[in-house]
Amino acid sequence: MQIGITAMGAYLPALRVDRKAIAREYSWSGLGMPRGGFRALAGWDEDSLTMAVEAARGLVRTAPESLRIASTSAYYTERSQSAIALDALALPRTVRTVDFGNSRRAATTAMLDALLGTGDQIVVASEKRLTQAGSAAQLAYGDGAAAVRIGEGGGARLAGFASVTHDLVDRYASQDHPTPYAYEERFVRDVAVAELIVPAIRDACEEAGIEPGHLTHVAVAEPVGGTWAAAARQLKVAAPNHCQSVSDAAGDLGTAMPLYGLGLALAAAAVGDYVLVVGFGSGVDALVFEVTGEVEGVAGFAEVLTQGFRLTSPTRFLNLSGALSLDWGMRAEFQQKSQATVLERVGRDTIGFIGGRDSGGNVQFPKSAYPVNPALSEPEVLEDVRLADLEAKIVSITADRLNFTPDPPFDFGLVQFDNGARVLMEMVDRPEQGFAVGDRVRMRLRIKSQNRELGTRTYFWKAAPRARPTLGDA
Amino acid sequence: MASGFRDKVAIVGMGCSRFGERWELGADGLMVEAFGEALADAGIAREQIEAAWVGNALDDINVGNSALPAAHALRLQRVPVTRVENMCATGTEALRGAAYAVASGAVDIALAIGVEKLKDTGYGGLPLKTKGVQNDLWMPYGSAPGTFAQLAGAYAARHGIDAGDLKRAMAHVSWKSHQNGVHSPKAHMRKAVEMDKILNAPMIADPLGLFDCCGVSDGAACAIVTTPDIARGLGKVNPVTIKAIQLSASNGWEMQYGEWDGAHVPNTRVASRKAYAEAGIQDPKQSIDMTEVHDCFSITELVIMEDLGLSDEGRAPADILDGRYDRDGAIPCQLDGGLKCFGHPVGASGLRMAYEVYNQLQGRAGDRQRGKVDFGLTHNLGGAPFNSVAAVAILGRLN
Repeated sequence: MQIGITAMGAYLPALRVDRKAIAREYSWSGLGMPRGGFRALAGWDEDSLTMAVEAARGLVRTAPESLRIASTSAYYTERSQSAIALDALALPRTVRTVDFGNSRRAATTAMLDALLGTGDQIVVASEKRLTQAGSAAQLAYGDGAAAVRIGEGGGARLAGFASVTHDLVDRYASQDHPTPYAYEERFVRDVAVAELIVPAIRDACEEAGIEPGHLTHVAVAEPVGGTWAAAARQLKVAAPNHCQSVSDAAGDLGTAMPLYGLGLALAAAAVGDYVLVVGFGSGVDALVFEVTGEVEGVAGFAEVLTQGFRLTSPTRFLNLSGALSLDWGMRAEFQQKSQATVLERVGRDTIGFIGGRDSGGNVQFPKSAYPVNPALSEPEVLEDVRLADLEAKIVSITADRLNFTPDPPFDFGLVQFDNGARVLMEMVDRPEQGFAVGDRVRMRLRIKSQNRELGTRTYFWKAAPRARPTLGDA
Repeated sequence: MASGFRDKVAIVGMGCSRFGERWELGADGLMVEAFGEALADAGIAREQIEAAWVGNALDDINVGNSALPAAHALRLQRVPVTRVENMCATGTEALRGAAYAVASGAVDIALAIGVEKLKDTGYGGLPLKTKGVQNDLWMPYGSAPGTFAQLAGAYAARHGIDAGDLKRAMAHVSWKSHQNGVHSPKAHMRKAVEMDKILNAPMIADPLGLFDCCGVSDGAACAIVTTPDIARGLGKVNPVTIKAIQLSASNGWEMQYGEWDGAHVPNTRVASRKAYAEAGIQDPKQSIDMTEVHDCFSITELVIMEDLGLSDEGRAPADILDGRYDRDGAIPCQLDGGLKCFGHPVGASGLRMAYEVYNQLQGRAGDRQRGKVDFGLTHNLGGAPFNSVAAVAILGRLN
């Protein structure tokens, strides 16, 4: 059977920076930066791993053969993101994992590898990239993730592809310069279009047996603005670039950009259409898909773009994006540790949010030898129950303004799951009116603690409102 | 069949340091201050102490773990000294240990001392610590006000009480304690505070404002315990005796099992009912003359009044506003100003409460004296409402 895309998932953080409000704050400087639309901004406790898991969690009803995560902003330089994600997604340890990085093109490369393989693989792309205050990238970039599952009988089959490897240095980030260093846009656009993008698209279309003009929807991750317009003129393609919608509503998502755009394109396409996705960075990947049916999950991509909380505070934006170091006082000196031995014992149950069901049917977290159920008096082995995908209800809550958190207040309280489990949890994605007893909540993977001195993070689940509000116009 | 503590152990001497921001003293100096007063009160020499229990909750804040800080500070003569820690119930836990030693007949005279030196952290509130244990991986570490604030919303939901009405009752709790604290020379804070100021104070953890929270402070308190016979030999004609000490610890039911309403503290209910039985008290509303309870936050004291059985379920806000627990009320609470005015040097607080009851029982409380007191109750609540240790002690006179 033909291998293709069977399902996709998307995740954007809830905060959306109103670019106009921030650019206005910079107006005295005369610095150039985008002034329209929104930039998706990760919370302090989100990173490329947490967002990757959020994007992929809808795709793992069954275990795939492999899990591949592409990112240029993985927190750990030696500790596999995909290995941590495997536990967070509660997937078996027999699933092969691969991390792709060092290029914004990494996701399309990983996807292409999967499509050329045996199928039943998940590719996730996720980014939370550092940017310099005042740079165009600070407002042009966005944080977010997208995931794709590839397997037999998908609704979009790979009809043709082409890859060009070319060390065109349009921008770079390095250990010594972790924020992007960008070269002149006109130089980048001219060379990228002529040497990489147009030739690759022509080759991919030729392999697919179509003229470029037959493309009905495209998702082209542009190195700079105007790239697709220039390439489309040469290729005589009239199709809209769905990555532009992502740029406008969330920002340039790096490795996740072509995947997110592909999700939007597939949602808009009809059976029989040809859809192009282009990943760019140190070369180019051009993949042409023939739409043969429905792809599960793509209908939600547009909705994710439009839901969240508008952020207009420049200092809160700079604080959360790591561009401003605030003096939070001595309480912020608290550094939480994690011990490898503890992680080895209970880490998988913790990051997987796996509780246990006792012989009386009650679920608890964490598991224990003696069940918390007062009706039971003997030690027993509890049956695994994953709580991450279940809703719960707030039993008690406060907005703690004394406890240190990089984004006050610190909302926490007891939440009650319908299966009996009761857990003390942090709350995230605070609604405008705050949280209240009785609110229904869903679970989100977040950073639990970070120890900057030791360079380590732990991850756990936090309770978030079941739904997000719809954003208005920027 | 266990017969409990009742009248088996007498308290012959107590001491309490001045609580507050004791920049000039370390933990050793605080213990010496309390200990000297207790020795003089008991009329014994240091060398007569045969065993000691020291309560200290936060070992990494300038006291140090083990029994040695107390043994060094008081230069105890190579007697067995044991450190105990049970969060905010630590002070009462030290008293329990010393009382067990006497009640068992193992020793004649024992010392219980609690101390905490919190003002070396560099900031207000309790210090946070982490060991990298399993709980660190998942449990959110909110502040102490944050954990107790959650009682308020759950209580309001459980009893259908308007949030504003509840806030006013909470404010009365703090107002009353500040009124009382004026008369406590050893209290950290000795100023009366107006109701409006309490109600309009900056928010710490919704709905707890600044004056809904007790402070932290430095302090030490201690008790010298012996048998009633020896107490009489020391000239204590009708000595103060321990009528009951009970402790109850969460087994995870509140925070892991879906039954608790979040509006009461089961451990306080269990410990107090056992204590009443141990002390032979049938009706606490009639028999208890005064209480010193764990008013770490105003909402805590409000809920405690129901958990101790002194207010009927859902009636605490009305009783508080009616003045039932004011100094001239039916059952005054925090005659010395409580944690609200003394602050909360964790290891010392339980013994500081006992110190007030001990003085009230003997008519030695000066401006704070509440007429004749036959039974006084102390209560500590360690941890958080959803995961706690509660200790209840009842003191009285031998005859």
